[in-house]
Amino acid sequence: MQEHILSILIFFPALAAMLGFVVHKDSAKAYGITVAGIEFFLSLWLWHIYDPMTSGMQFMEMAPLVSAFGINYMVGIDGISLFIIILSAFFTLIGILSLTETRRVKDLILTLLFLEMTMIGVFSALDAIVFYVFWELSLVPMLYIIGAWGGPLRIYASVKFFLYTFTGSLVMLVGMLFMAYFYYQATGQWSFSLLEWYRLILPVNYQMWLFAAFFLGFAIKVPMFPFHTWLPYAHGQAPTIGSVILAAILLKMGTYAFVRFSLPLFPDATVAFMFPIAILAIIMIIYGAMVAYAQEDIKQVVAYSSISHMGVIILGTFALNVEGISGSVFLMIAHGVVSGALFLLVGVIYDRRHTKLMSEFGGLASVMPRYATIFGIMMMASVGLPLTINFVGEFLSLLGFYKQSHSYTLVAGTAIIVGAIYMLSAYKKAFFGPVTKEENKHLKDLNKTELYGLVPLVVIAIWLGVYPKPVLEPINNSVEAIVQLMHDKAQTPEAQKRIPNLAKTGTMNSVQEAH
Amino acid sequence: MELTLNHYLVLSAVLFAIGLIGVMRRKNLLMLFFATEILLNAVNVGMAAISHYRGDYTGQMFAFFIIAIAASEVAVGLGLLIVWYKRTGKIDLDQMTSMRG
Amino acid sequence: MEIYLYTALFSPLVGSLITALFGASRKTYFTGILASGLLFASFVSSLILLTYVMAGHTVHVEMMTWIATGDLYIPFGFVVDQVSVTMMMVVTTVSTVVHIYSIGYMSHDKGFNRFFSYLSAFVFSMMVLVMSDNFLGLFIGWEGVGLCSWLLIGFWYHKESATWAANEAFIMNRIADLAMLIGIFMIYWNLGSLQYDVVFAHISSLPMPIITWIGIFLFIGAMGKSAQFPLHTWLADAMEGPTPVSALIHAATMVTAGVYLVVRANPIYSEIPDVGNAIASLGAFVAMFAATMALVNRDMKRIIAYSTLSQLGYMFVAAGLGAYWVALFHLMAHAFFKALLFLGAGNVMHAMHDELDPFKMGGLKTSMKWTWILMTLASVALAGIYPLAGFFSKDLILEVAFVEQHYILYTVLLLTAGMTAFYSFRLVALIFHGDKRHLEHGIHPHEAYTFMLYAMAPLAILAVIAGMVFKTPYYQMVTQLLPAVQYHIHNHTTFWIMTIGTQLFVILAIAYAYKKYAKAVKVDKKVESGFFYQLLYNQYYIPKIYDEVFSKPYLQLSKLAWKQIDLRIVDATVDGIANIIYQTGEKTHTMQDGNLSSMLRWMVIGVVVLLVLAVAFTAGYNAVNLRAM
Repeated sequence: MQEHILSILIFFPALAAMLGFVVHKDSAKAYGITVAGIEFFLSLWLWHIYDPMTSGMQFMEMAPLVSAFGINYMVGIDGISLFIIILSAFFTLIGILSLTETRRVKDLILTLLFLEMTMIGVFSALDAIVFYVFWELSLVPMLYIIGAWGGPLRIYASVKFFLYTFTGSLVMLVGMLFMAYFYYQATGQWSFSLLEWYRLILPVNYQMWLFAAFFLGFAIKVPMFPFHTWLPYAHGQAPTIGSVILAAILLKMGTYAFVRFSLPLFPDATVAFMFPIAILAIIMIIYGAMVAYAQEDIKQVVAYSSISHMGVIILGTFALNVEGISGSVFLMIAHGVVSGALFLLVGVIYDRRHTKLMSEFGGLASVMPRYATIFGIMMMASVGLPLTINFVGEFLSLLGFYKQSHSYTLVAGTAIIVGAIYMLSAYKKAFFGPVTKEENKHLKDLNKTELYGLVPLVVIAIWLGVYPKPVLEPINNSVEAIVQLMHDKAQTPEAQKRIPNLAKTGTMNSVQEAH
Repeated sequence: MELTLNHYLVLSAVLFAIGLIGVMRRKNLLMLFFATEILLNAVNVGMAAISHYRGDYTGQMFAFFIIAIAASEVAVGLGLLIVWYKRTGKIDLDQMTSMRG
Repeated sequence: MEIYLYTALFSPLVGSLITALFGASRKTYFTGILASGLLFASFVSSLILLTYVMAGHTVHVEMMTWIATGDLYIPFGFVVDQVSVTMMMVVTTVSTVVHIYSIGYMSHDKGFNRFFSYLSAFVFSMMVLVMSDNFLGLFIGWEGVGLCSWLLIGFWYHKESATWAANEAFIMNRIADLAMLIGIFMIYWNLGSLQYDVVFAHISSLPMPIITWIGIFLFIGAMGKSAQFPLHTWLADAMEGPTPVSALIHAATMVTAGVYLVVRANPIYSEIPDVGNAIASLGAFVAMFAATMALVNRDMKRIIAYSTLSQLGYMFVAAGLGAYWVALFHLMAHAFFKALLFLGAGNVMHAMHDELDPFKMGGLKTSMKWTWILMTLASVALAGIYPLAGFFSKDLILEVAFVEQHYILYTVLLLTAGMTAFYSFRLVALIFHGDKRHLEHGIHPHEAYTFMLYAMAPLAILAVIAGMVFKTPYYQMVTQLLPAVQYHIHNHTTFWIMTIGTQLFVILAIAYAYKKYAKAVKVDKKVESGFFYQLLYNQYYIPKIYDEVFSKPYLQLSKLAWKQIDLRIVDATVDGIANIIYQTGEKTHTMQDGNLSSMLRWMVIGVVVLLVLAVAFTAGYNAVNLRAM
């Protein structure tokens, strides 16, 4: 079983979803929880049997699909993908557990299980075509979730979401095909295997074009400024569960793909594009925070805050050193936990009041103390308070980029200021002050179902903030491998300078031996 | 004066041009069929000629294929034409707009 | 000794977590007593550690790894040395007193349990701040106290002003924290470690500009927490919180964290005397600046807050001039008497039903005798009259400025000392002497609970003896770590003239305050409408300027970014592109009119275009390739 664990993880939910059509709709939720629960425990078992000291790919599986063109079903994970996979399984479980939707629950749950397959597929694929297939497939269930269970503008939002991301990924597909063609030219064999591509050193001008093609696909998914406008619509219209999965997992596909594809494949282009992308990331951070501050709808605040945080992740990724990339991968997990929790929390109040406008609330802290407490904890995690999960990621990302540029980091660091501004003012509007609206006076505090979903998230947010080592260590080891690979492949002197060489020991300074 | 490949190709081109103009200008379905036949045969002339001058008989073989297919096509086409005529009493192209997009 | 270290550190956390469990339930005295008891345990442990450290040892433990990636290694490490044990003593003493006091002060409040949870959490954060052995550990505490300060300022969250002040404090601190983070980044990338011992051992090997920048960035961080100009406005607004909070957080402990940072990082600042001078100058400026605002303010708590600000300025003067032990000494003495002053103010507020304007009080000394005595004592200590604590610590700073030949600083500080005496006793006179103006408002004051007064007693004792008794042993202990510089004015005549002169000046200021306010209060309309009075009364219009220059434009810019840029430009572009494609389809679908001959015509046009393109590209390709050959 151990050698097929990844395939089981990928296809078990999809298989269960198909079987689920025969399940009676009253027991659909129980069925969904069972399947997602088993899947989650499998993913935990995966973590258990994962060897954190190995930096390479583990649990690799391979089966030929189109051998003439070197397309194989190839999966495998390292420390970077491991935790995002666990997070995907976890959020599917949490999402189904705390589901309050009443319309066509069965369809929704089966869609979620199908979505789970595509998510885990994306994060474990090692073949570009397999990656691409899962990447595109993930759009379908999301499109369905937004389109079928969304708000009044759901059709517009879902079509926008689909077309926008689809356009980007088509350009990415062209890039992949060209990459394979180039591999064919260089070696005489077709291959879409990522690991084989890693070994290829591309001419710098090719790297530029390929980087740009991949960039478009990834950047729209992240979403990076100025390709972000699908996100507020998608979040605004999506049901709670859709927003949770979208923010927690789907956005991470973009940043994950940067680490998996762009960095190791095109190190020179990455260095060449580092500063333009850093500028975009800074725009995302500050602009996203400002737009979040101006929002009247609390869900949109969280949506734009995602853009702001994703900016920090991008910045950490393009720091190109172990500290920064580890930090950005960790922040992906952290942001998943925190923004997922925040969307769940927004869903709680939406279920009760059927509005998300902050002006409709006020004084909720006295009516719903438990809700206010959990929201407060998650908000503080979101603004990156030390000993919460976000801080570790944000600190490392910014620390990493500081090595590349002082002034950029200083500007990007305003994330901790502007982040506090929009979050605290939103919290103040919704939770503080007197209770002004009659409808709010008798709101019920969190019930058991909601606590099942939220309490584990609070525990994780604090646990990984205090003791990030179990997650950070495997990430660190895999990131070191990537950084070393990038350094070895770098051709331009600029890239050789910017990407640290880890093989050389004691390079950095003379005080290493102190610890 | 010796007949060279160019003469055949010019003939083929002229025929093709005539066919093309016919295809574009004619409104009568029957005339359209004539024009398509001219187009096809223009290609046939070209193929046969080139095939002869290169000593490669593939071209002539293709010409035969085209003749055969054109014949069957005319048969089917004329059949449809007659059905259409019986239904509407006209074979004017401008009235056949059920494929409007 | 480790067990004492852990007890001192974690018992407030345990107290906070246990009381948090009762957060939403009904008020129970159990929470207050438990939290206070655990803090007392922390205090006792600190005391034991103090004796251990006095004997010349230090304790250094590494609890576990926190963040480790790449070359970065940050543990949860704690150190008890001469500096941190001083801070621990200050923090645990004041917070134990404040906890016990709060049992009485908050006894009528719905959020009693919640209050103790927050307060103990604050003490834990503060202990982390002072005990950590690395800069990031300090940063944990740094942000932790910020969080608790946010929670406690906004404790009465139904009040708009309280929540606004809480957010202001948090955000303003965040601005400074960014600078501090940058300082930490610089230290890491230049020295490869954030551990104090490593950093301080190697700091002198760095080039001068880098040390300077590290010093500047760390100090900006300190400026936020210690509310130095221009990041000072939050402190006065923070008085919206319950008074015990003001006593503990916004007078005795949290706001002095900045001073602690500079003292802790003394090996860095010793390398850069120019930055030190700048710090000292800023400190002197703030001392005077805050004192002037306190002269005319009509809010009891704000007056004490400005006085805190002013005293923090004094501490920075000492720290900036390299007299780190003096700064820490004044920090300690100030913590005692300022907390006492605030707790006294709390008693007055209770008696006055939360009235804050001293002009509406008066003659309280009859009904609140003990509070009167305690507050007078604290004010005397603050004014720096021999032999109370303030005399030893504050006059020492004046001497430092004099010995270091910064005569301008000396003059500024001397004038400020006079102002301090004046506004402190203006407050005392207005509250406790003169007519009972409060009777007009139908308020009948009563003395606070006896146990609250007993709780204040240790602070009163410390405010009296801290200077006289502690100075020598403290000096001997702390200079094992900090630079041991004695500041003596060698010329005896100068020394006596200065000391007596200062004392006389201060006493005159007190007498003037009494004369002006102790009898009937005459409101001089002409002075009050004057430019200077208005300027000071409106805090130099700085809050207003900040509001106009930063807050409002930021909100407007944000709205602009959303409504104009995001919706009108970025999103509209995307929709525009989609629309163009859609419109192209709409326009060109007439091609598909179903007319065979027109469709054939389009086909022909298409073929021709393709042919032309094919020929053109082939020609172009050949031309390029032939040239290449």
